[in-house]
Amino acid sequence: MIRRILHIDMDAFYASVEQRDNSLLRGKPVAVGGQPDKRGVVAAASYEARAFGVYSAMSMARAVRLCPSLVVVPPDFARYKAASSAVFSIFREVTPLVEPMSLDEAYLDVTENAWNEPIATNVARRVKERIRLDTNLTASAGVAPNKFLAKIASGWKKPDGLTVISPDRVEPFLQRLPVGALWGVGPVTARKLRARGIERLVDIRAVEIANLRETVGGLADWLQQLASGIDDRPVVAHRDVKSSGSENTYPEDLTDLSLIREEVAEMARHAAGWLDRKTILARTVTIKVRYSDFTTITRSHTDAPTRDAALLAARAVQLLVERTDAGRRPVRLLGVSVHNFCAEADPVEPDGRLPFDGD
Amino acid sequence: MELVVRKTDLLRELQLFQGIVERKNTIPILANVLMEAKGEEVKFLATDLEVGLRSRCAATVAKGGAITVPAKKLYEIVKSLPETDIRIAEDKSGVKVAADRFDSRMQTLPREDFPTLPEGSGGVAVQLPRAGLKEMVSKTQFAITGEDTRYFLNGALFVLKPDSMSLVATDGHRLALVTTKRDGVGKADGGEDAQPILPKKTLGEIARLLMEGDGDVGFERGENHLFFHVGDRMLISRMIDGKFPAYERVIPKGNDKHIEFERDRLTNAVRRVALLSNERSRAVKFELEKNKVDVSSSSPEFGEARETLPVEYTGESMQICFNAQYVLDFLAAVATDIVALELKDEVSQAVMTPIGAEGYEYTYVIMPMRV
Repeated sequence: MIRRILHIDMDAFYASVEQRDNSLLRGKPVAVGGQPDKRGVVAAASYEARAFGVYSAMSMARAVRLCPSLVVVPPDFARYKAASSAVFSIFREVTPLVEPMSLDEAYLDVTENAWNEPIATNVARRVKERIRLDTNLTASAGVAPNKFLAKIASGWKKPDGLTVISPDRVEPFLQRLPVGALWGVGPVTARKLRARGIERLVDIRAVEIANLRETVGGLADWLQQLASGIDDRPVVAHRDVKSSGSENTYPEDLTDLSLIREEVAEMARHAAGWLDRKTILARTVTIKVRYSDFTTITRSHTDAPTRDAALLAARAVQLLVERTDAGRRPVRLLGVSVHNFCAEADPVEPDGRLPFDGD
Repeated sequence: MELVVRKTDLLRELQLFQGIVERKNTIPILANVLMEAKGEEVKFLATDLEVGLRSRCAATVAKGGAITVPAKKLYEIVKSLPETDIRIAEDKSGVKVAADRFDSRMQTLPREDFPTLPEGSGGVAVQLPRAGLKEMVSKTQFAITGEDTRYFLNGALFVLKPDSMSLVATDGHRLALVTTKRDGVGKADGGEDAQPILPKKTLGEIARLLMEGDGDVGFERGENHLFFHVGDRMLISRMIDGKFPAYERVIPKGNDKHIEFERDRLTNAVRRVALLSNERSRAVKFELEKNKVDVSSSSPEFGEARETLPVEYTGESMQICFNAQYVLDFLAAVATDIVALELKDEVSQAVMTPIGAEGYEYTYVIMPMRV
């Protein structure tokens, strides 16, 4: 059966909320994020700001250099969350099959929908209209037979766009898609593929799977499916989380190893608290270190599953001390995450435990 | 500060500090040893904030004073010098260390930055018999995990009673308990209060201090610290916070199967058989039958191994699995010719003890593996 999938992406979400709520910001280049002199990062940029080349994840200092008239607004997540939940309640009116990707982005499977609207394009149009009416914000939508095409479609025309890839237009659409446009194909992978003469996604069809594996490893089978326009991933209303963690950019470079250790340990303990609430265990701890020159490394350690705060902190700190130059080189960002989850009961520990608790 | 000191005297003290100073170098001054010259001697102090050591040696002091010097470098220099007098003198921004025709200058760090450590009360300390303390440390130290999340397991429990003292260590899988007699010289508080947890590093440093010399060890307990007086030296140790598990509960009483082994033969058999044990679990199986014990192992990758040990045993047949390392740790820690293994059934705690040990009682409890 052909599915009808919507991908809906709010336009410049945080910045749009700010412009909506403050008429003085409308029509002006706005960036939401930390202050440039405090090493802030752009969390969202209005379209006016994007015209100057300002994009999210860019350092605010650079953004201000590109656009001296930029209005920097500190983020107010409470208001973004309120706007987000208004948008999501519209989605859930249409279908229970809503897969949130973030505050401002979701997949909807509208093959069957509460509006009994057989044409997905009409569903998308109505959803966009409702968002505008209820929240005074705009969204861009992609309509396609699967998630990967819907995601690409929603990005095709922005802001306030609506792009439809009907089943009979999938093939011509694929024909002109560069490999780099795919989610999961970053610049490095794209470069590797191009080095093999693969420019367009459809070029992958002609490549032997074994050769493709050499180039992109585990991604090969997935890419080959996508090259044929196949993506069977369902829209999952409650997505299983694959990892959890936090990271922090510091207002000033950290040079004191004991302080860096404590930061990392604290983030690991925080992750352990999350595991505790989820009552799951993690096998892998990953730390991320960005040095003052912006080179960024991640280091992982996999061991017996745990959610013990002290143990996770010890593992994270060990990675830090033994496998990074933190302390010898100044550090501007630190992150710790846990992944590779498993349920509580599944590790069988052969070593017997002394029954201190009388059991 | 300016002084002259004999190389041997200085070297003897400095080497004791090598385990104390912070190796990871997170706080620079913790890599230094504080030297204070006064009267006829020079005093030393170093710490990693968990364990600290004070000591002294005779010196001819031309000018009193205090400096902090990189402990490792100073030790290396002193070690490399010939048997002679060493001249140590503070200069503008560092310290000069010279002997014979050798001359050197090293950076120092301000004395004011050196952490202050608590002093012992200076009163009469509890006397701990040296030999007993040595036995206790060497027979429990290895059972401390080092990095257990239950941080109170990262040390050993010290139980001081008027006529005995014990040290208990466990990693949750096995437990080592050593008790030795003491004659009750000096005070010893009873009850929970007198049961501090000693960090693993402290035990290591006590063992190092006890390697030479004789005489009892003075013991004092401060608010957050413990003090061990060994000769002229004093080890200062932080106590680990936390409640040590109720260790008496896991020491089984009714183990009715008793087998005695020659320690060497058992050690060799377990070591050989363990070569083909599962690399992760390191499980070895003990199969008890009339007058023999078969020790065996198997691993999916490599194969199997088995060795038969003749013993005196007339009880019922049974089998039980242990982590080979836990068994070998015990066998390496004791010195008696004969050791005993006492069992109840294949899922309950086993006890190993040395037979004919003098001066100490040693109980080693191992939880069997469920295989």
